[in-house]
Amino acid sequence: MSTQLPVTNPPLVCWNCHERTIGTHFCPGCGKLLQLPLGSDYFAMFELPRKLWIEMGALEQKFLQLSWKLHPDNFVSATEQEREISLKRSSELNDAYRTLRDPIARVEYLLAIEGTRKNGENKQQAPPELLEEVFELNESLDELREAKAEGSDTASLRQRLEAAEKNFGEKLKDVDGALQSKAREWDGAIDAGAEVPDRGKIMAQLNDLLNRRSYIRNLVVNVQKELL
Amino acid sequence: MGKIVGIDLGTTNSLVAYVDAQTGEPRCIPGPSGSTLCPSVVSIDPDGGIIVGEPARRRLLTQPERSIYSVKRLMGRGPSDVQSELKLFPFRIDPASRNVIRVQLGDKVFTPPEISSFILRELKNWAESYFGETVDRAVITVPAYFNDAQRQATKDAGKLAALEVLRLVNEPTAAALAYGMHEKQRGKVAVYDLGGGTFDISVLKLIFTGEGDIYQVLSTNGDTHLGGDDIDNLLQAFVHEQILQHDQIDFSPHGELAQELRKALIDIKHQLSETTTATLRFPLPNGNVFVREFTRGALEALIRPVVDRTMAPVKQALADAQLKPSELDEVVLVGGTTRTPLIRRTVQEFFDRKPHTELNPDEVVALGAAVQANIMDKGVKNMLLLDVTPLSLGIETYGGAVAKVIPRNSTIPASAQELYTTGVDNQTGIDIHVLQGERELAKDCRSLARFTLRVPPAPAGLPRIEVKFLIDANGILQVAAKDLRTGEQHTVEVQPSYGLNDADIERMLEESIEYAEQDFAERQVIEAHTEAESILSATAKALANPQAAQLPATERQKVDASVFALQEAVKGSDYKLIRRQIDELNRTTEHLAELLMTSAVQTALEGKKLAEV
Repeated sequence: MSTQLPVTNPPLVCWNCHERTIGTHFCPGCGKLLQLPLGSDYFAMFELPRKLWIEMGALEQKFLQLSWKLHPDNFVSATEQEREISLKRSSELNDAYRTLRDPIARVEYLLAIEGTRKNGENKQQAPPELLEEVFELNESLDELREAKAEGSDTASLRQRLEAAEKNFGEKLKDVDGALQSKAREWDGAIDAGAEVPDRGKIMAQLNDLLNRRSYIRNLVVNVQKELL
Repeated sequence: MGKIVGIDLGTTNSLVAYVDAQTGEPRCIPGPSGSTLCPSVVSIDPDGGIIVGEPARRRLLTQPERSIYSVKRLMGRGPSDVQSELKLFPFRIDPASRNVIRVQLGDKVFTPPEISSFILRELKNWAESYFGETVDRAVITVPAYFNDAQRQATKDAGKLAALEVLRLVNEPTAAALAYGMHEKQRGKVAVYDLGGGTFDISVLKLIFTGEGDIYQVLSTNGDTHLGGDDIDNLLQAFVHEQILQHDQIDFSPHGELAQELRKALIDIKHQLSETTTATLRFPLPNGNVFVREFTRGALEALIRPVVDRTMAPVKQALADAQLKPSELDEVVLVGGTTRTPLIRRTVQEFFDRKPHTELNPDEVVALGAAVQANIMDKGVKNMLLLDVTPLSLGIETYGGAVAKVIPRNSTIPASAQELYTTGVDNQTGIDIHVLQGERELAKDCRSLARFTLRVPPAPAGLPRIEVKFLIDANGILQVAAKDLRTGEQHTVEVQPSYGLNDADIERMLEESIEYAEQDFAERQVIEAHTEAESILSATAKALANPQAAQLPATERQKVDASVFALQEAVKGSDYKLIRRQIDELNRTTEHLAELLMTSAVQTALEGKKLAEV
């Protein structure tokens, strides 16, 4: 069993009573709903360490608990400022739950807050060892489109594409498997208190796997669309 | 602050409901006729008077060009969207309509939110008469599949009706809330809601926590232009064609005759939900009577395409919730159209379980709205709704593609941040186009708004503007921008693609005073005056009757005194005083009334007040 890193939000000053507080959601002094502290992320919001394995049942419980407290319904007759904070906090909670619940979005988010993956920088390049297969696939797709346009027989082309779809579908499963084991490696490194360079290495590998996955997934989706 | 109510602003009928403080149960409020259903029909008098509900529905037959039904179909839509509707519905769209549709009623022109606000005002009046108090806040329901513009239009209608809209609640979610309270259900529930003009399917999870019940919507789907109206259109086209063949009568699809035929066919449709055959007898202008017997089987064959169209959204909603039909614990039917036996059978077969129909399908949505209104009013915190956005929110990118920033079925409120910069030196603006929908190209999605981010002149790529898109708990978009270099908040002027802007609403609010009915107190004064006049004139008539001479002098004095008191009260506007004096006069004239009733009609008139004699 691993020991979890303690998660604490940085202290902040209550917007209402101006007391310094370490409350997470409500000010212990005046009871007002607090702003989310600067620099807190989705993991911190759920009081989780920055690890990739998350127990779904516990995540849901926490989500419902926080929804109960933060939802705008609770602040209908509160001041405008509190209503705004509630809207902001509950939208952040929902964004966080949506992201952490999805294994892929979770990895992307972790990479983003760790500074490895920047918005718009995930390039869609064909992995080199797949180049030949991708080239063939695109050719077949073109031929199918032409055949469809001319109204000629597409049966053999379809067969070829169905085989390719299966092939790339397998590759997608492989990437998912690789992502999972890399995620375990990351969690292990966190538990072991790994230094920044080691963490950075795993991050870079996770990032490559994500790009590879997204590329293959697009291929599969495109083939499926043509085959419909 | 006044009372708060829940309102179901429906395509065919609208209702208003509240939660009874004693029993804690939601109840629908009846109108003057005693019915809780207010037909969503508006008619405009030549003098500008606004008629809503059943009287307006009757005028669909006599003055179709001054009357409108199913206006909900036009909410939040542009002129180009409704071309297909115009073939089927007698909407007279002002050709000068641009972003917002304008409907011609007589010689006046109104936007759909204005027409809806007349219906809301009527319901507000029902509730105010019922409570004897002002009603100024409401929870209003909308189809779950309504987009941003349709929601905004509904909120605008509330504002125009002088109601603060505390929340827009999705109709199937409201229904689930009413059922959940009633049946104490738990687990996964599908709500199939087929109304007059809209279809929704929502999948919910009802969770019981130590603090209270949470209604979490897992997914929703639907069609905002599919409902009982479509069944009526099919029937109408079918019979229209037969009349054309047999009697060579081709009447305008929007004229009075067509409206009468439509009404007769709706009756047939309703009958066939109860019996297996029904006969249409429709008098024609040539003196013939068109007679045709309909069987339920024939009706079902005709309407099957409409029922089938609901199934694709049902399957998509289940797929999005990652559930198989057999994994649902309960299925609930909502909306008047689900009384149709074919729909009940189809839903039962698909889910392999008997759907719930215990609550009145016409009322259940309003009841749920009342429950939510009560939660928001009292801060009674024993349940919480977590709803979702029905459509993905996207931003147009290069080449007309759409980048999705908030996926459909995200729990709301939900937000997304996007970072923008400039492409050329000293560029001063960045154009942003926000869309809603699932398609990949901007032209296939629903345009919500366009706006320009103002950027101070700088080398290309240097400015960093963060734009925050937020969908609030009503499913309505808010946009805010922040300059990350300066930390400065930008105000974003969002021009809605198909909606009213703030200036439009201000102008309409001013104009609405012209049409607006008086507020509650004023109405009470007018009603009290009218009643006082009628009892005063009845008393004068009675005193002139020879029988009145038998009245003892002391009693005569009392009557004269209370007549005088009422006449004085009527000079003022204290309606409570007027009411008290009316009651007083009623009491002092009891004996006088009895004297006048000694004739043969006595038995027939027993128990009546003088004013009614």
